[in-house]
Amino acid sequence: MANLQQPGKKKIKVTKNVDGHPVEEEIEVDDTGGPSWGPRAAHTLLNTELPRVDGPVKVTGRAVYSQDVRLPGMLYARVLVSPFPVATVELDLDAARKSPGVGAVIDLEVKGVKWLGQPVAAVAADTPERADDALRALAPKWKPGKWAVTREQALAANAPQVGRKGNLGKESSKGERAETEAAMQGAAAVVEAVYSVPVQHHVCLETHGVTVDFSGGDSAKVYASTQATFSIPGDAARELGLKASAVEGIVQYMGGGFGSKFGLGFEGQLACQLSKQAGKPVHLLLTRPVEFTSGGNRSGVHVSMKGAIRADGTLVALVSEAERFGGIGEAARHPQPYIYEFEKSFASSVSVLTHTDSSRAMRAPGHPQASFAMESLIDELCAKAGLDPLEVRKKNLKHEAYQRQLTRVAQEIGWNAHPNKTAPGKPEGRWCTGIGFGVSVWGGGGHPECEVEVRIERDGSVSSAVGSQDLGTGVRTYVASIVAEELGLPLGGVEARIGSSRLGQANGSGGSTTTGSLAPAVKSAAWNARTKFAEHLAQALGSDPAQIRFAAGSVEDQKSGRKLSFAQACAMLPQEGLTAKGEWVAELAGNGIQGAQAAKVRVDPLTGKVEVLKLVCVQNCGLPINRLTLRSQIAGGMVQALSYGLLEERVIDPDLGLALNANLEDYKVAGPLEIGEIVALIDDEDTREQAIGVAEATVIPGHSAIANAVFNACGARVRDMPLTPDKVLAALGRV
Amino acid sequence: MKAFKLHNPTDLESALALLDTPEARSGATRVLAGGQDLLTEMKEHLAEPDALVNLKHIPGLDQVHAGADGSLEIGALCTLAALEEHAEVAQRLPALAQAAGVVASAQIRSQATLGGNLNQRPRCWYFRSEHAPCLKKGGTECFSYGGMSKYNAILGGGPSYIVHPSDLAPALVALGASAEIVSAKGSRTVALEKYFTLPSESDVKRETVLQPGEILRRVLVPAPAANTRSSYTKFREKGSFDFALASVALALVLEGGTIRSSRVVLGGVAPIPWRSKAAEAALEGGQPSRALFEKAAAASVRGAEALAHNGYKVPLAKGLVIRALEELCA
Repeated sequence: MANLQQPGKKKIKVTKNVDGHPVEEEIEVDDTGGPSWGPRAAHTLLNTELPRVDGPVKVTGRAVYSQDVRLPGMLYARVLVSPFPVATVELDLDAARKSPGVGAVIDLEVKGVKWLGQPVAAVAADTPERADDALRALAPKWKPGKWAVTREQALAANAPQVGRKGNLGKESSKGERAETEAAMQGAAAVVEAVYSVPVQHHVCLETHGVTVDFSGGDSAKVYASTQATFSIPGDAARELGLKASAVEGIVQYMGGGFGSKFGLGFEGQLACQLSKQAGKPVHLLLTRPVEFTSGGNRSGVHVSMKGAIRADGTLVALVSEAERFGGIGEAARHPQPYIYEFEKSFASSVSVLTHTDSSRAMRAPGHPQASFAMESLIDELCAKAGLDPLEVRKKNLKHEAYQRQLTRVAQEIGWNAHPNKTAPGKPEGRWCTGIGFGVSVWGGGGHPECEVEVRIERDGSVSSAVGSQDLGTGVRTYVASIVAEELGLPLGGVEARIGSSRLGQANGSGGSTTTGSLAPAVKSAAWNARTKFAEHLAQALGSDPAQIRFAAGSVEDQKSGRKLSFAQACAMLPQEGLTAKGEWVAELAGNGIQGAQAAKVRVDPLTGKVEVLKLVCVQNCGLPINRLTLRSQIAGGMVQALSYGLLEERVIDPDLGLALNANLEDYKVAGPLEIGEIVALIDDEDTREQAIGVAEATVIPGHSAIANAVFNACGARVRDMPLTPDKVLAALGRV
Repeated sequence: MKAFKLHNPTDLESALALLDTPEARSGATRVLAGGQDLLTEMKEHLAEPDALVNLKHIPGLDQVHAGADGSLEIGALCTLAALEEHAEVAQRLPALAQAAGVVASAQIRSQATLGGNLNQRPRCWYFRSEHAPCLKKGGTECFSYGGMSKYNAILGGGPSYIVHPSDLAPALVALGASAEIVSAKGSRTVALEKYFTLPSESDVKRETVLQPGEILRRVLVPAPAANTRSSYTKFREKGSFDFALASVALALVLEGGTIRSSRVVLGGVAPIPWRSKAAEAALEGGQPSRALFEKAAAASVRGAEALAHNGYKVPLAKGLVIRALEELCA
């Protein structure tokens, strides 16, 4: 029975995204010919620099985000969340109901709060201010209990219990510990160290939420700030008591998700419930403090590592024991050894539960944390053994892409002329300059889920439609550009329609799977449209479809030499125009990408000030669908890594249980003045003619490279992110 | 926020009359200038006044007068942006212009005023959290003592460990400025150095000598002595929109290669702008050198006592004093 396969079919492995986490599965696809992306040099729009089609409306404020939707009679909602990790609460619901302008009040009847930021009630009123007042009228009487919000509290002997089975999740491990330890004998250097990354936040510019357009009746529209348009109708319909088909999910523009916005969420559920109760539209976008405590976080990690290196630079053995902090939920995995090849390794990992909100996927879940520990350890091993960290990296990375990428970033950052190669600089003088490196890996493959429709009208208009959201990755632009290129049109010749569950199915944007899943379906629809159009024209012109060429806004019958403008050709279509659909084609998508990054920093040894002078990234990704957006996405990942490397950390008072920096003053995010020169380079030696998503890879190694650069500059090894001046001064022995 | 009555007087006498009532003296009426701190306090229910007296309709309160003798009178309603761009301020009082230029963000500087900057409340995250009933809010405990104290005081702390958040205050103290305070009863002038109060020496719920019913009308800055140089150096984790982890305001008279007199005032490390007479003494009569700067830096933090998470502020403040002296004496 093995390998029973249909003729013309083949089995392939694809990556699906489950709430932002990649999951592999095997599927069967057609093993037949079809469209190909064609030679790299022949593109007219793809692989060029195209400004986003929605750039102007976004930067001028004309794009209407879910946050911006205003409807007649609409109520504004606020959610009451617990300021304490464990508590009971009494609410004055009557007072809230009587508060001026209130249209709905919901008591979630929480018997006992189990996490800091847990929602307990919601109100909706005719103005945002009155909603605030109504929330206050609830006059919550909190009775705080006993909690565990830190590692120490959660692991203490008499710790308050968080999970049903205690405060530890299921431990996983691979490798033989004793064998691995034994392999370290005789190594040139052995380093043992603990590395930690705090819980951090997504800090989406647009907070989580929806605007529900429902006033009773039998249908609704839900404007959602989500990464998964098609998750909205079913979930919202359940709350509203409607059929899923009666609810439209709309995501025209969305202000960032980074993995934190899958599904309707508690905020969307409450908005629907409030709308149903009031019989009016409801606008519920979380306030910034609630966004911080209750809108998701990236899990932290505390990892003990022991590694060994030979004098020739071979990485011999690694023992890694990770505790991960994902609040009341399982934290992101901690893959070790991360990317680098060790001869022997043992890695264990366990979630430590705390009374805080569950972590959510965040851009490359688990990878930036693993990168920080691994890249730091490698540099420590190099320093101890007196080896060049660039050469050691190259020696222990299997994939050939890393060899050329590391060479290129080293060249761009100025490593050859840099003095501190095998030992760090001394903490002396006005500024100490250092360089550090890191590498990344990701899948970025696609899977069959998207359905794209291309329409060509008799008047020459062309549209390309699919329900997909544009998370900020340039979807709207390539939904048009792929079709435009196929039909020989300029980008403006095709209208992209996206962001509605009434349009063709699309996958959620997570795990960098959007481009790998959607771009092939768009290409397929475009190819089908062109093929159909050519067949129709050939018939009308008495030619052969293979002789019909679409280029530069014209259509040429190469058989007769007759040339028509695109509009003239369209006029030859029947009254109803032409419609073509497209689905995923395995050959158009790829999987597996690599990147290397380098950082140059300067450190003031007297104050611990770290300034990032330059960050360089070389990233491969198969076919660059849009080089401008791609470079922008690489730069975005680098900036995000810089920000959490230098600044970002959630702070909770262990005794009071209060979130101390649930605002953008105290939760510090990098601004323009922190961001040095950013050099985002596309690795054009990757000539795969395949669409691959690139978002996650770009965010993985930047902070690791910065941490290594700080050490390289002045010998300050900071093992606990972020690299704030207090830690740099402590690492220099000055505190 | 709680609903309040807004008064918009158009002359100072009317404003003072509105503040000369038993309610106002009890603190239920507050003075509104740029509103950059007060309104955020009100939004977070840290302040819940019944009435606000808006000073922005009173002509003249934002004026800067340059005296023929080189002194400056700066109206309390002068915005930080105006101060930063004022030609005479930049020329005579570089420390003040520099301090004004590094407050918060450009948007805030265009609204925020000199008076508001000097009278703003602490940024301590316990003070700003409604659920932490700290000493400053009438509670019995300073939670930063034994708590998450990274941004709290290393000098002059106890029983409260806030740091004064103003950038202008250290600069103005270094420049020897004084504050003109008016009320319905008259006016008084207080050296700015005495304007700010330590939690141990007066009401722990206040940071200044300004009483309910009083308005800070203007700040008077004397003409700097000949050969005076001044600067304000702020250290923050972010390059914009961040409060100081530590800062240093310097005013030196440097003549013939010798420091004849000096003022050294630290910000971000104490509940008040922290003038270090020990550092001044270390500098005076000396010739600029790294050794001299290190001596002054060590003296500037004399008596520092770190809490659990702010020990780094000692080397940071010292490092900053050295860097600031290096630049100013260059």
